[in-house]
Amino acid sequence: MARVAPSSSSKALYFLCILVGAILLYVDITYKSFDTIKNTYISTTISTKFLFKKITIDPFIYLYELSSSKSQLINKNRNLQAALDKSYLENFIVSRGDKFFMDDEAMIALMNKYEIDQIFHASKIKLFDTTKYFCCDTHIMYIDVISSSDINFTGSAVINSEGILGQVISDNGVKKVLLLTDTSHYIPLEIEGYFCNAKGSGRPGIISCTYSSLIWTNPVSNGQKIYSSGLGGIYPRGIPIGYVQGITNIDETNIKIDIKLITNPLKESMLGIIESQ
Amino acid sequence: MKAPGILKTILLLFLANYLESITAPAFIKIYVALPLTFLVFSGLVYKSSKNINPIYAFCLGIFVDLISNSLFGLNAMLFCLFSYVINSYSNTFKLFSYLQICIFFGAASMFFIGLSNLFLAIENFSYLILFVSFFINSGFALLITMSPIYRLSIDRRLSEYD
Repeated sequence: MARVAPSSSSKALYFLCILVGAILLYVDITYKSFDTIKNTYISTTISTKFLFKKITIDPFIYLYELSSSKSQLINKNRNLQAALDKSYLENFIVSRGDKFFMDDEAMIALMNKYEIDQIFHASKIKLFDTTKYFCCDTHIMYIDVISSSDINFTGSAVINSEGILGQVISDNGVKKVLLLTDTSHYIPLEIEGYFCNAKGSGRPGIISCTYSSLIWTNPVSNGQKIYSSGLGGIYPRGIPIGYVQGITNIDETNIKIDIKLITNPLKESMLGIIESQ
Repeated sequence: MKAPGILKTILLLFLANYLESITAPAFIKIYVALPLTFLVFSGLVYKSSKNINPIYAFCLGIFVDLISNSLFGLNAMLFCLFSYVINSYSNTFKLFSYLQICIFFGAASMFFIGLSNLFLAIENFSYLILFVSFFINSGFALLITMSPIYRLSIDRRLSEYD
């Protein structure tokens, strides 16, 4: 049987639906009104996956490991791997102790002042939309701390063993992390005494920064190392962020530099959250 | 063909979206975007013997927006638009060859990718991805369309040996 072409009333309904869709799109882009719904859905998905795995798969894995002569070795190996991952993070902070905090006393004073018992909180990636990471401007990751904590981590920096990855932008149980490469993310940087706000490029591993050659007279060269400036209070000062990868003259005075990040969010699943001060 | 029920459609879209999320990071490295969820939806609308209600298409779009963590209204709007186009030209399609219909779906998916990228990846908008995707998606649609014909041909050859 032949299908009937849409009638006038049907066309009007189509138009109305498209219009409503466009309004929803506008509201979401401008006001981010649906973020709560999206975050709730993601939290629910993560919790359901975790519960489902715990109820269905984990008992079988446990039984298998129990029956296997290698189970103890497997557990040991896992614990060692976790300890190793954690030590990488600790080393990252300790080796740059003078950069994170001016000296040990400052670090201890800060920890006492804010009643912080840990320098960082070990956490794991729960969800990372790699599709959007490779294709789109939005680079978001969802993580959760390993040991339960009541602290709200909104505004805290997130690191891995290589350096800074991004910052927590919302904490509803699962922490939403905005990566440095997201186009809505800015990080204040320092290059030999000069400062600039680097914006995420939407491309994996690349951020970019624009400056005026009238103010910034020293030439920047490819391969030059870039550090965080500490301005804004989110990220500590003096942490290596990346290297200059490309220099483009926008016009006679403005120059854009592309910075290749030293961190790769795909490298490891163990991360650390540094409590915001 | 009778249109599948709501639950079956939702499940199909969910699976397509899951498959898309797995394959997309690999495909994008070779400048290909394969919008499986959109192609599944378009396929369902095309194969359906009745016109799809716009509100139904809108709701399915919202569902896809939610599960794909995309901007709300983007898929809803595009699903409505394409269900309208397919419904309008459903009788005209009967005059077209398989190849022409596959090219239509390739072009539709290119339009879908282009419009999605305008909102999701405006700073990295790539024409190369659009052009490569057009050919790959047309080829993919052709592969899906031709698979029953190849199967019939293989069955016939096998029966000749029996």
